[in-house]
Amino acid sequence: MNLDHFGMDTITLAGSLEAKLDTIRGAGFTQVMLNSADLVGHPDGERAAITAVRTSGLRVTGFQVLRDFEGLSGHLHAYKVDVAKAMLRMCSDLGSRVLLACSSVSAHASGDRELLKKDLQKLAMLAVPFGIRIAYEALSWGRHVNLLSQAWNIVQEADRANLGLCIDSYHVLAHRAPGVVSDELDPVKVFLVQLSDFMWQETRSPEDRIETARHYRVFPGEGVHSDEIAALIRELDAAGYRGDYSFEVFNDDYKQLPLAMVAGRARDSVQWIAELVSRRSLPARRTTGSTA
Amino acid sequence: MAHAEPLPEPSNPLGLDGIEFIEYATSQPQAFGALLQQMGFAAVARHRSREVMLYRQGGMNLIVNSHSPLRGKGTLEETPAIVAIALRVRDAGYAHKHSLERGAWDMPTRAAAMELHIPGIRGVGDSLIYFVDRYRDFSIYDVDFVALAGVDPKPKALAGLHWFGVVQTILNDRTQDWLDFYQTLFGFTALPRGQYFGILPKGTLLESPCRKFYLQLIEPPPGAEDIHWDEGLVRVGLGAADIPAATRVLRDRGIVFIDRGSVQPSDKGALTQVYLGGVTFELVVSHLQP
Repeated sequence: MNLDHFGMDTITLAGSLEAKLDTIRGAGFTQVMLNSADLVGHPDGERAAITAVRTSGLRVTGFQVLRDFEGLSGHLHAYKVDVAKAMLRMCSDLGSRVLLACSSVSAHASGDRELLKKDLQKLAMLAVPFGIRIAYEALSWGRHVNLLSQAWNIVQEADRANLGLCIDSYHVLAHRAPGVVSDELDPVKVFLVQLSDFMWQETRSPEDRIETARHYRVFPGEGVHSDEIAALIRELDAAGYRGDYSFEVFNDDYKQLPLAMVAGRARDSVQWIAELVSRRSLPARRTTGSTA
Repeated sequence: MAHAEPLPEPSNPLGLDGIEFIEYATSQPQAFGALLQQMGFAAVARHRSREVMLYRQGGMNLIVNSHSPLRGKGTLEETPAIVAIALRVRDAGYAHKHSLERGAWDMPTRAAAMELHIPGIRGVGDSLIYFVDRYRDFSIYDVDFVALAGVDPKPKALAGLHWFGVVQTILNDRTQDWLDFYQTLFGFTALPRGQYFGILPKGTLLESPCRKFYLQLIEPPPGAEDIHWDEGLVRVGLGAADIPAATRVLRDRGIVFIDRGSVQPSDKGALTQVYLGGVTFELVVSHLQP
């Protein structure tokens, strides 16, 4: 595993889009995860943002985030379809092949499985003409879907080629969900893996999880769940996942530090992971000394 | 109060019943018109207010749209391109609603060649898919078009030519995405791998639920990194019961077929040379009724 398999996320850094892209590329990364604020918040408009991304030389890992899409009905559903269409257009304009969609937290969303499945099928269909894949992520505070296993079940039932999963290590850790990468999980249906850690052992309530997720994440290797993250990456790698990893690090401190310093920490994190994986990639039996 | 039973959809949910017309767009309508005439199509009507012509051959309607600007774009391309397929359906309004509910994109307003309101959705690339339900007792062309004087409005087909299908290029690893699209919206089914009809045995062949035409999805061939490959509708396939006879008739009219390599004319099919910078027609031996 090397730097090419990892991307930084613009939400980790302060400053302009151009400064973020320069810093990320300057640190040696080849890809970047973008969010809609990068476009619509650009002082010179969306076109300027698209040009900045397209000329940066960085590959776009994915575009985020469509929220609260599934489980709505009537005018709320129609409204969210419009939002989804706009997100898909922006995603396409940026040359991104992946749109991240988070499980709904809306109090108005139904938990009816058939409806959730149908809505995700519809979202996947909307994305087909653009060649975009939908990566569905279980937010750990999602109203009806908050575990990876639940998201995986719905993705399987929906059965659309361009609908898969985003696995975010934060939500897995925050929920202390055991056996994340089960034998049933098809690595081909994992469209994106987002990595981050945090600095305390537990997040007890949904409010805790939200607060930590939005302000106190750190890069893998910097937090207190290194073993779990290492295990997750090993499991994914062993299962055959060969897609992108992106650092999804929301951290208030990092947004007031020099960009190059934060990107340096991201690089260190890649190094930390690469060492884990290189150890793992040695034949396991030989390292244990077993002759069996 | 009635409850909706969770019944499976019928295999032909829209009552699909073949192709009503294929629409091309080009800034060279005369050159393309001449080619179409060589292919056996005859100009039968002109649009009342736009630079749009209707060509016909047997049961095939073909619209050539040179009305600029098209779909908000600045200029028309010279090379004729397939920009729409109109599908015959049981109820166009229902077909439209059914498609939008399942995640199809509504077509842009005022994008259509026709003034008559024909609902449609977005297809591959910049193309559209229209739904037409008035094709038995009423001609949609009567509203928008004026028949050309002294011209047979129903010219016979050469060698029984009829629509066989449309070839769609797609990007790598996109076959399943487009299968989902055509299966979910219209009820197309993929034929088993290895089942082909013409002389271009590649890609994935989808059969319409009415069994009246096919779509062929083609990913870039291996080693094609250097060629420009985009998603779109690239060619129509014309069916004929007797390919050598059809080839002979068209050759006599000046059409040139590729006569070398794996695509030379055979009993199974034939492929024309590339015309006008990118147009080809494929003949396919056909079991379909003209």
